[in-house]
Amino acid sequence: MSLIAAAQVSKWYGQVIGLNDVTLSVPPGITGLLGPNGAGKSTFMKLVTGQLKPSKGRITVLGEPIWQNPDLYFRIGFCPEQDAFYERMTGLEWVTALVRLNGGSETAAIEAAKRALDLVDLSSAAHKKIGAYSKGMRQRVKMAQALAHEPELLILDEPLSGMDPIARRKTITLIREWGRSGRSVIVSSHILHEIEAMTANILLINQGRILAEGDVHQIRDLIDKHPHTVHIRAEQPRALAREFLASDHVLSLRFEADAVIVQTGKPDLFYAQLTALAASNDLGIIHEVTSPDDNLQAVFQYLVK
Amino acid sequence: MMAASPANRRPSFVSSVLRIFDLSLSEMLWSRRSVFLALLVGGPILLAVVSRVVWMFGPNESLRINGGAVSGASIFGLMIWLLYVRFIVPILGVFYGTSLIADEVEDRTITYLFTRPIQRGAVLVGKYLAYLACTVLLILPSVMVVFFLMVPVGGGSIAQMFPSLLADLGMLAAGLAAYGAVFAWVGARVKRPLVAGLVFVLGWEPAVLLFPGYLKRATVAYYLQGLVPHAMPQDSTMSLLLQTFADMPGILPSLVVLVVLTAGALWFAARTVASREYVLEQ
Repeated sequence: MSLIAAAQVSKWYGQVIGLNDVTLSVPPGITGLLGPNGAGKSTFMKLVTGQLKPSKGRITVLGEPIWQNPDLYFRIGFCPEQDAFYERMTGLEWVTALVRLNGGSETAAIEAAKRALDLVDLSSAAHKKIGAYSKGMRQRVKMAQALAHEPELLILDEPLSGMDPIARRKTITLIREWGRSGRSVIVSSHILHEIEAMTANILLINQGRILAEGDVHQIRDLIDKHPHTVHIRAEQPRALAREFLASDHVLSLRFEADAVIVQTGKPDLFYAQLTALAASNDLGIIHEVTSPDDNLQAVFQYLVK
Repeated sequence: MMAASPANRRPSFVSSVLRIFDLSLSEMLWSRRSVFLALLVGGPILLAVVSRVVWMFGPNESLRINGGAVSGASIFGLMIWLLYVRFIVPILGVFYGTSLIADEVEDRTITYLFTRPIQRGAVLVGKYLAYLACTVLLILPSVMVVFFLMVPVGGGSIAQMFPSLLADLGMLAAGLAAYGAVFAWVGARVKRPLVAGLVFVLGWEPAVLLFPGYLKRATVAYYLQGLVPHAMPQDSTMSLLLQTFADMPGILPSLVVLVVLTAGALWFAARTVASREYVLEQ
């Protein structure tokens, strides 16, 4: 049985098309949804989580239509892209309150919330107000609310966005373990490197259409021909830059206020070096790592041609 | 990975409503809107303090308007009608009612509520109950303070007037319930609900109530006044105002209309929320 089945699904926002005649079948396991910003990833995520209704076509999740079917949310956990919270609540209060909406007692909800916060490595900040969380912590508390009720299917919209390298690595490990435990995950990103670290099974989306389904390695070969851009916001960007300059795989460097922007020909090597630097803490704190999708856009243009 | 799942049964509608109520109440109470509206309900207190000071230091035993003596109880009744029923309660209803779902959409937190195994209608009703609790908590202290400040003016008895205070509080609660439900529906249906709500309470209702005929039946205020006729000032100096409200429905018909209006508006609002797509801005 397919996890998600879409038959000729289209979604319009007035005159704007979000998804265009998509037919696909997502198998159980971990699937990466890869595409540049504005490709239609979030629209797809909103359709498979029943937040939007298809303008045309039919979509089923775990064998049932998702639109106006609240019972299915027992089996689904969703981590949205937006950075939105009840800021005055603590992480534990927020996750508990959301788990309570799945039923069960207050005690069971608190226990589930604590376990989930522990899984995303937020136990020590559980009693801190979300308003005081860093970007990476906010991403992780969103993950916690999605997996606290142990859904069969975890849907994650850009879950690694804004996380520091160590949190990224932990989250990737968590997602892979989740998949290994027999559950399914759909994870979106505009960064091939991130998706590749989680799964080899991808859906390639651009301009509202699914361009390719299947193995990541073919895309990987294409993308390696294009330089990969990484934006690193850090305490000591110049010290980081000095370290990167010594590496062969770094093609260029430039600075913004509190950040260094690196172009690399070998993202794997670069991210390994960055993670090691972050873990050592020798060059100050690395606050945030993001990757614009210029290079991915180039690959898409190539594919569309 | 993780231990046993926290629950394997979907909560009932009532249980979902209560859980949403729990989640929403403190958020609503400590919102910027509540701080602003707390200032609004502080207005009558200020007015009551001024009246009380004028009375204490004035030459007469009672307050006088146009030369005629007016008791504190009458002024309290007038304040209940003109300030609370005709202004504060509708304004609270508009500001909170229209934003029950709109706030969650604007803050983009609606996703967390709509991707849980509860009916969307329960989200609306839970937030509506939180609105009622929040606004009652805002308005109750204000009315009590005004009551204790105003009624003794001119020698009125607090003990004697206490049942009337309870009736007034009941009327205000009914007003909050009715306006909140109506504007929850408006908020769920209309694109710019706040504008529509303000036009209704500050334009339509005051205008229509001034004219004789049946149009005033298309207001909430008309039925609220029917609930507590004695809240109106009875002094001769206020006879002009009394003329305006001379045509009042009975208590039972008013109550029936308000209950039907509240339940109906809530039902339509819940239906609208259940079937509507909410496209969040990226």
